[in-house]
Amino acid sequence: MTLLTSPSPRCAIEALRGERTLRPLADTTTASGLRSVLEDGIYQILGTSKPPAPHVVRASSLRQNPQTTDISLSPLGRIRGVLVNQVLRLLSVGVKVERPFDEALLAWRLDAGTSELLTSLDRLDSDEMARLATDVTAHSITLIRSLGDVPARWLPRSSVRATQLLSGGSVILRDVIDLMVGSTSSPVASVALFDVTTSPLGEGAERTMRYHALVQTLRSSVVPLRTSTFSTATGEMWSLDVDAELLLRSANEVLSALESMTKSS
Amino acid sequence: MTTLLHRRHTAPGLNELIESAPRERASLCDDHRRSLAARFRAIASVDHRRLDAWMVEQAGKSGGGFRWSPSTARRTLGNAALRRLTHETNLSMIEAVNDELMDQLLRAAAGHARRGTLAWWLAGISHAELGLVSAEAVNWATQLVEIARSLDFEWKVSSSDAYYDVARARTTLRGRRDLEIVRDDARVIVRLRSGSPGKSAGPGLRSDLTIETLAHPDGLAPARMIGIWPEAGVCLSVDGTMDDLRSGARDLVRTAVVQQRAKTSIAA
Repeated sequence: MTLLTSPSPRCAIEALRGERTLRPLADTTTASGLRSVLEDGIYQILGTSKPPAPHVVRASSLRQNPQTTDISLSPLGRIRGVLVNQVLRLLSVGVKVERPFDEALLAWRLDAGTSELLTSLDRLDSDEMARLATDVTAHSITLIRSLGDVPARWLPRSSVRATQLLSGGSVILRDVIDLMVGSTSSPVASVALFDVTTSPLGEGAERTMRYHALVQTLRSSVVPLRTSTFSTATGEMWSLDVDAELLLRSANEVLSALESMTKSS
Repeated sequence: MTTLLHRRHTAPGLNELIESAPRERASLCDDHRRSLAARFRAIASVDHRRLDAWMVEQAGKSGGGFRWSPSTARRTLGNAALRRLTHETNLSMIEAVNDELMDQLLRAAAGHARRGTLAWWLAGISHAELGLVSAEAVNWATQLVEIARSLDFEWKVSSSDAYYDVARARTTLRGRRDLEIVRDDARVIVRLRSGSPGKSAGPGLRSDLTIETLAHPDGLAPARMIGIWPEAGVCLSVDGTMDDLRSGARDLVRTAVVQQRAKTSIAA
């Protein structure tokens, strides 16, 4: 007997939204429950005290144990990440990227104006700059080959920012989603989140995927369909369907991160 | 008493804000306009003054000089692209933004763009940089179309911002507006904002309300002015009542005073 399995997607963008007929109805009720879970959890951690400065939780706060060192967070690693993200932004609007490093650098300089990372970049000597250019080009080529064309009708938007104030502004959840497709006003769940990392995928990447889904749910009050992450270091892509359990898990991870932050401060 | 309302930004929440907009609206007559002009004239200024909600929110503090960037260009291009999309429904959002960019570049190539205009700036940047400008404008326009499509009411993209020149006071007021919803004969104005609303978001919204009313030929206030901060998932609104209009006018005058004081102290 011959068994036929469903064909694997040809590109990352195709895998992102999956089979149209299998999408569930848009969930617009879970967000308020998650907000209550977070508010209750924050009250247990902070009590009635108001911190002098708000605690800011980012995806990077969940990615790793504060005691470990992640080389992707070094200035060079961060510059590489920013430049690869610029390539993704250009690809999302159908720009043909032929010289990834040069084009990403031009776009970044225009966008950032002045920043600490740009200053670090300008301090690199020619050898370091050449190594960075080679590195960014290699990562970008992996991205360009794997991503595929982003259909314009999927409403792609890149570097989507979100900020959620909790507990009267004592805790701020900040997030940037590299690429988002789909509509929040559709009757079926259609929003897919796509994160690009230049590091190999690990446990931290999984937490980041969940965090993106959580913040997007809190921001729009609509649960996204799927959250994905793509590593330009390995060409691997992980994708998770978003449900209430995944979101609750992420809320608990946020609370754990907040607890560690308050203890360390 | 003013009427600032705070809601989570959801489709039913936004529709409810529009639905519940008050039927009775205030209007500004010639006496109001004369009184406001007299107050602005009392704040002596050599230069021409330009005031908007952003300056009110910043308490009159002037930031660095304006410069074009993908973030400052996105609203102009994004709103224009959405306007184009409502007429040419076969276009995708990216195509509509690229068509707008192309129009700007053609204007510059034809020599119709003055130095410092958007077209002039766009003509001087590279292909990759134009791609980034396009990405920012697509983000803006997509956010706006998502909001518009979630409405149960007829909407249109505003054709321009509201401008009002205060008579003999060397002052121009600019009120921003992105979407207009007309139900019965009342209009509701929607403004899209970046970031999160700060403590001065209410005064900013009231200033926009006042300028919108002053710019109306009959001085009719909109039923409600709604500010949406999609990044934070929050909506704020103020009603077109006389109290809110007065409060908005006071904030604008106060901003002009603070600006004038800052200029005077620099000169001293």
